[in-house]
Amino acid sequence: MPQPVTYRGMSLIVPDNDTEWKEFYEHARAHRLVVRTCTACGLMRYPALHACPWCMDLGWSWREVSGKGTIYSYEVVHHAIQPGFKDITPYAVVLVELDEQRGTPTADEGLRIIGNLVRHDFSPEAEDKVAIGKRVQVVFQDLAEHMALPQFILSGEPDQGRVWRLGG
Amino acid sequence: MGYNSRMANLKDKYCIVGVGETEFSKNSKRTTRAMAVEAVRKAILDAGLEASDVDGMLSYQNGDSTFAPFVAPDLGIRLNFYMDVVGGGSSTEALIGLAMGAIEAGMCKTVALFRSMNGYTEFRIGGTGARSAAPVRGPDLAQVPFGMRSAGQNFAPTFMRHMYEYGTTSEQVAHVKAAHSRHAGNNPKAFEKHRVTVQDVINSRWIVKPLHLLDCCLETDNATCLIVTSADRAKDMKQRPAYIMGVAGRVSKPRVDFHWAHGPISRVAGYYAKDIVFGQAGITPDDVDVTGSYDAFTFTTMLQLEEYGFCKKGEGGHYVSSGIIELGGKRPNNTSGGHLCEGYTHGMAMVVENVRQLRGTIDDTCPGAAEGRHTYDYSPGKCRQVKDAEITMNLGWAMPATGSSLIMRRG
Repeated sequence: MPQPVTYRGMSLIVPDNDTEWKEFYEHARAHRLVVRTCTACGLMRYPALHACPWCMDLGWSWREVSGKGTIYSYEVVHHAIQPGFKDITPYAVVLVELDEQRGTPTADEGLRIIGNLVRHDFSPEAEDKVAIGKRVQVVFQDLAEHMALPQFILSGEPDQGRVWRLGG
Repeated sequence: MGYNSRMANLKDKYCIVGVGETEFSKNSKRTTRAMAVEAVRKAILDAGLEASDVDGMLSYQNGDSTFAPFVAPDLGIRLNFYMDVVGGGSSTEALIGLAMGAIEAGMCKTVALFRSMNGYTEFRIGGTGARSAAPVRGPDLAQVPFGMRSAGQNFAPTFMRHMYEYGTTSEQVAHVKAAHSRHAGNNPKAFEKHRVTVQDVINSRWIVKPLHLLDCCLETDNATCLIVTSADRAKDMKQRPAYIMGVAGRVSKPRVDFHWAHGPISRVAGYYAKDIVFGQAGITPDDVDVTGSYDAFTFTTMLQLEEYGFCKKGEGGHYVSSGIIELGGKRPNNTSGGHLCEGYTHGMAMVVENVRQLRGTIDDTCPGAAEGRHTYDYSPGKCRQVKDAEITMNLGWAMPATGSSLIMRRG
């Protein structure tokens, strides 16, 4: 079993038998964002479910996605719970809808993934830059030889749909 | 969907006949076992029963409490059926349904159902302390490494998206806290009795946007208990029974693990639960006199009321800020003050409150309260009994993707 990775005071544990996360992080460490795709119906899912939620098939393979997407929702943490986050408040957690498979298989579904909205040095992006509708791009924060976290930066592309953020 | 024909045969066949709770505090100075024993004992006595009358026990917890096999023997109760389940909010209604099923199956006759928690002094329900330092593995890896661990952090994107889609405002949902604080002021056992205004909520510091401090519930130490039995047995008991008309337990969205993947995330589990519970009860939201919509956060109350059809989808902000949910309004919500003000019990106290509403003997300061004589003067420190409350509904919440509900009527 690989050694637990310590990040912001947290112990991140990925046992050898946890193949979904082990391989996901190995790809992430090579700076590839991958998701499982069903070998029967072709639909992708995140995080790595063990069967296809649409056709129940057990077959899957990893597929690399672009890492481009739009902020679907977000929050800004002012009062951190985890001790290791107290020195970086306020920080934004973003729910990103990836470009691949948007509105599929139903209009309300999509490949969505959670990360922090960060600057290039992985410090939190300024709070007033965070908004629903902003375009983002995945970046990888290397934590160990076998692990990197997917994070997101503003890509500067034109906004997607209506842009909105909570004032105050 | 067929819920009517298949399940309505249990409508009005089971009752809640006893309720009990400990003090709501931030310093219980005792174990969850000691508190559970007190709450169960009080509920048994409230029902006018003896230990030998109770032969079933259910509890729920998250690795933070005692178990039925330690509580029953303390009271001299020999059990024919017991189960302790992992669960938090929305477990109350689900376990009431399980209690009905256990009795219906002939496994036992009368069930005591408890939740005991040192939610402030031992396992902080907000996630600080020992829980914040737990190792991160499995499904948690999809969110916890990004500083998203507490209940508020887990729910905030759902609330934010509702504001985006429907124009819901901080001011609108702040009315939930303001209303519940007025209710708590008329509840002698509430932990937080002072009234707050909408502006107080808006001016309180940010915890995780869009949640201010006063949008978040309390963290308290307490135990609560309900006694469920058949309507046949309830007829001869001490209290006016609260008849169970319908129950939906742990109804979920298509994905619970990473529920953001599916559907509009502003849709919560009540969307799927409403047909079950209203189908069994054979009523509509218009027939409900009092609601107990789980208030882990102000937004939670609002989201569930609109999902169950008390207003149109997207109009929850207007509904909760219109005065309807206040004592004296058309359909008061959480007349005890709820988790925002009375104390945090993982949902059970909201059912306890509605049982008392249906009995007409809410424990306010009215001189004849215990005999059902109330003034219906809802000014500070006075009455909180809803006049002629016939039907109550509890809207239990675990998270956006999971919820339970319960409809009761007075006996």
